[in-house]
Amino acid sequence: MSVQTEGTDTAGEPAVRKARIPGPPRGADRDSGSPSRRGVAAPYLLLLPALLATVVLLGWPLVKNGMLSFQNLNPRQLIQHLTEWNGVDNYKEVLTGPDFWKVVERSVFFTAVNVVLIMAFGTLIGLLLARLGKKMRLTLLVGLVLAWAMPYIAATTVYQWLFAQRFGVVNWVLDKLGWHSMADYNWLGSQFSTFSVIILLIVWQSVPFVAINLYAATTTIPRELYEAASLDGAGAWQSFTSVTLPFLRPFLYATTFLEVIWVFKAFPQVFAINEGGPDRLTETLPIYAYVEGVGNQHFGVGAAISFLTILALLIITSYYLRMVLKQEEDEL
Amino acid sequence: MKRSLFGRIWPNATAVILFVGFVFPVYWMFATAFKPTNDIISEDPVWFPTNLTLSHFQKAIHADHFWTLVVNSVTVTVLSVVFSLVIALFAAFALARMRFRGRRGLIVTFMLAQMAPWEVMIIAIYMIVRDDDMLNSLVPLTVFYTMMVLPLTILTLRGYVAAVPKELEESAMVDGCTRMQAFRKVIFPLLAPGLMATSLFGFITAWNEFPLVLILNKDIEKQTLPLWLSQFQTAFGDDWGATMAASSLFALPILILFIFLQRKAVSGLTDGAVKG
Amino acid sequence: MKRKLAAAITIAGMMVSVAACGGNSKDDSKDAGPGSWKGQTLTVWTMDGSAPPQWTKDVQAAFEKKTGAKVKFEIQKWDGIQQKITTALSEDNPPDVLEVGNTQTPAYAATGGLADLADVKKEIGADWTQSVSQSSVFEGKQYAAPWYFANRVVIYNKAIWAKAGIKDTPKTRDEFFKDLETIGKKTDAEPLYLPGQNWYFLDGLIIGQGGDLVKKQGGKYVSNLADPKVSAAMETYKKYAAYSKAPKDKDEATPQQATIFAKGKTGAMIGMGWEAGTAIQTDKSIEKDLGYFTIPGQTAGKPEGVFLGGSNLAVAQNSKKQSLAKEFLKVALSDSYEGELAKLNGIVPNKTSLQTNLKGNAAAEAAAPAAAGGGTTPLIPEWAAVENTPNPIKSYMTAVLNGKDPAAAAKDVEGEINKRLAQQN
Repeated sequence: MSVQTEGTDTAGEPAVRKARIPGPPRGADRDSGSPSRRGVAAPYLLLLPALLATVVLLGWPLVKNGMLSFQNLNPRQLIQHLTEWNGVDNYKEVLTGPDFWKVVERSVFFTAVNVVLIMAFGTLIGLLLARLGKKMRLTLLVGLVLAWAMPYIAATTVYQWLFAQRFGVVNWVLDKLGWHSMADYNWLGSQFSTFSVIILLIVWQSVPFVAINLYAATTTIPRELYEAASLDGAGAWQSFTSVTLPFLRPFLYATTFLEVIWVFKAFPQVFAINEGGPDRLTETLPIYAYVEGVGNQHFGVGAAISFLTILALLIITSYYLRMVLKQEEDEL
Repeated sequence: MKRSLFGRIWPNATAVILFVGFVFPVYWMFATAFKPTNDIISEDPVWFPTNLTLSHFQKAIHADHFWTLVVNSVTVTVLSVVFSLVIALFAAFALARMRFRGRRGLIVTFMLAQMAPWEVMIIAIYMIVRDDDMLNSLVPLTVFYTMMVLPLTILTLRGYVAAVPKELEESAMVDGCTRMQAFRKVIFPLLAPGLMATSLFGFITAWNEFPLVLILNKDIEKQTLPLWLSQFQTAFGDDWGATMAASSLFALPILILFIFLQRKAVSGLTDGAVKG
Repeated sequence: MKRKLAAAITIAGMMVSVAACGGNSKDDSKDAGPGSWKGQTLTVWTMDGSAPPQWTKDVQAAFEKKTGAKVKFEIQKWDGIQQKITTALSEDNPPDVLEVGNTQTPAYAATGGLADLADVKKEIGADWTQSVSQSSVFEGKQYAAPWYFANRVVIYNKAIWAKAGIKDTPKTRDEFFKDLETIGKKTDAEPLYLPGQNWYFLDGLIIGQGGDLVKKQGGKYVSNLADPKVSAAMETYKKYAAYSKAPKDKDEATPQQATIFAKGKTGAMIGMGWEAGTAIQTDKSIEKDLGYFTIPGQTAGKPEGVFLGGSNLAVAQNSKKQSLAKEFLKVALSDSYEGELAKLNGIVPNKTSLQTNLKGNAAAEAAAPAAAGGGTTPLIPEWAAVENTPNPIKSYMTAVLNGKDPAAAAKDVEGEINKRLAQQN
């Protein structure tokens, strides 16, 4: 049963976006709750600053955003500090407009493709790391860490340069490989190719997190489990499915959850590459909200879209959240 | 376990290919930044620059107020990382070590909080900050950046706190330490690597943040480096040498910090805490 | 509303100026007035490329001498400027004086963010050229002061043209095409640098065709992009673009086309006179090869239609230093500094009397003949929203250049244009 308890722990752990993870902590630590409890107030006091910050700095903007979504807010109202309530007009405009559902569909698809690629490559590379010799492993780790650490904006700029139409190194390589029509290819000219660049960028930056953490997790799998498995006559594949995979499952769930969130709300990478272009065909929900709200100065509508964006994110992640809730329940 | 020759070669071969794939964009950024312009816009790429130049860097640094922006970025980033770590440590300790009513709800709250898409709320934040007369100041930036990284920091640290064997804390308390002392003398040192590792996420987020500072701080003396980088890029367009020099300068502190903290975090963990 | 601006701003008219410089200011009623000016600092936003350093320095000195107050110029980038101005105007401490593009001025006037400049107009604006002052009048009130105007010319590289063996600059569009063809054949230079989204050039072509971007339908403005005249203009644009290897999905500012021209491998570009300055700044050696000519039209007598771009100076309604800000306008727009700006940047000044300053300025002289047939975008408050990024007209241009039929491409973006035109203020 220890695996279940670990599930809740790993939920927090992979959050170390930039660090290697300690192995899943032993379930025993959590179950033997301290018998001596001084003051019922202590936990609340410890949590007070965090709660206060969340309520003021996140709760307030959310409420404000919610209020704006029911207002007619354009430059004139913004400049003159006018409040003009207009009921659900903004939502009506968004939900009945031709773009919104297309953007939702695109965002979901975009997230799915990215997360599948990230998890697949991340897991494979993580397992590869475990198989490598010491030197080779260190080398690959360095490579992964460098990609991981690149600030988004710098990374985006570099990708624009790699895929530049003129003198971009990618076009040159494709040309030399015999694909001559790519010599002057404009990667930002179509929806598909723009998305390809964005996806490559996001996958490149996200895989290291999954791979390194997964590798770290495999190192904590007790050797005895494998020994027991091989005594039972399990082959390599069987011991993988019967030992490695179950052990890693909570970790994989938690990581997938985080990646879904990160990819779905990814803003700078998607926006900076081509500002949602060409023809607004690479706008995902956050970009759409930004372009309609801030770019088009239709702030009320922008607020409505951002509210719907949050809603969409909640729906997508609800499965995992329910799981966490249940596990915490079991534990208490 | 014996492996065939093929079995020994393919992992290494794959690793080499992957290494090149992951490193190349970073390498190309630095290489371009040091290359003279003629080598950058040559029909055949110059893979290994031989004559190096610093002129692109000079151009990049030459921007107005460059050093002010550096100071601002460092200030905002460091402060928000420190604040979020301190606040998160308290919260994480409570969540990992104590039992109380509402704990589950709080954990889910923080999970939800880290889903907040900040970029789409910036008009709301802008109006709040504007109406409180706090525009063109580093204070709102710092507190909002703190909040952006707080939920994830809490959830992460909670994992680290839980990973410290409870027995250590208990035995310290048996030795006469108060809970606070036990925390300070026993747990905190063990947590240090975790704190460092966690701080990286904050560093990255705050260092990169862009839409909020763009709308809040119009006064160039209160802006941060991401604005410089993006405006630099629009201004210099296809001057890839200068753009890559600027990107390199922007990325370098994080890359260094990362390699440094990553090692610390990992070695600390493997040496002591978890296995100890 | 007639979109064509009167020929009044051409070099031809050289009326006597009613020298109304800001020398003798009376006390302003609005706020504290001259007594409190000393020690204050005025913030002025100008756009990238508008105010040459020399002019800034001179105006700064004159203003400080006159008022005892300081002035701080902050140069703004065009990218994202509309949002920046909107939010800034809503703040308690906005920039006191700001440059606003003429096509955007009606929209800002309608928001109530700009101060009424009736008194400034009365004092120094009696002889502002009516046609260029027009964009800053909204519902009968003067919300901005006309600052400068300019239209595009062909900037060409004499060395490359000489190498191609071309003796004379073209007088008609067909001649121009032929010259570009020759350059392509006889030299290794790119004949023309014209990115796919130089939309103000397209606007000029539309004006040349006599087309309109919007039409009134049931009391509301709607897109007129599918009009055959617009399509014809776009076809002309396409012919031009065929001589260029520039990206079809970028505009002339990303990257700044002058920085490309400066490399000396481009035969010509279509740009503002002052872009030559940017080119020289990028590479000094281009200076000796720079030449200018009027964008030729269908026939020799009639130059191509042009977009009369321009900027106004406005005072923020929320500025707490209104009298000082107006004082700044009086200095900056006085004959000596308006004249200096014309001389330095080769732009058309706000008074016909000041156009003597353009004598000998090759770029301005090339620009002048076309100005008579120039026009702007629709001067209605609804228009500014259409140009917000992502500008649907730019998408239209890229689509046509990629082979789509103009009318069909127009249909694709008209929904978006109409949505923006209908956007309430």
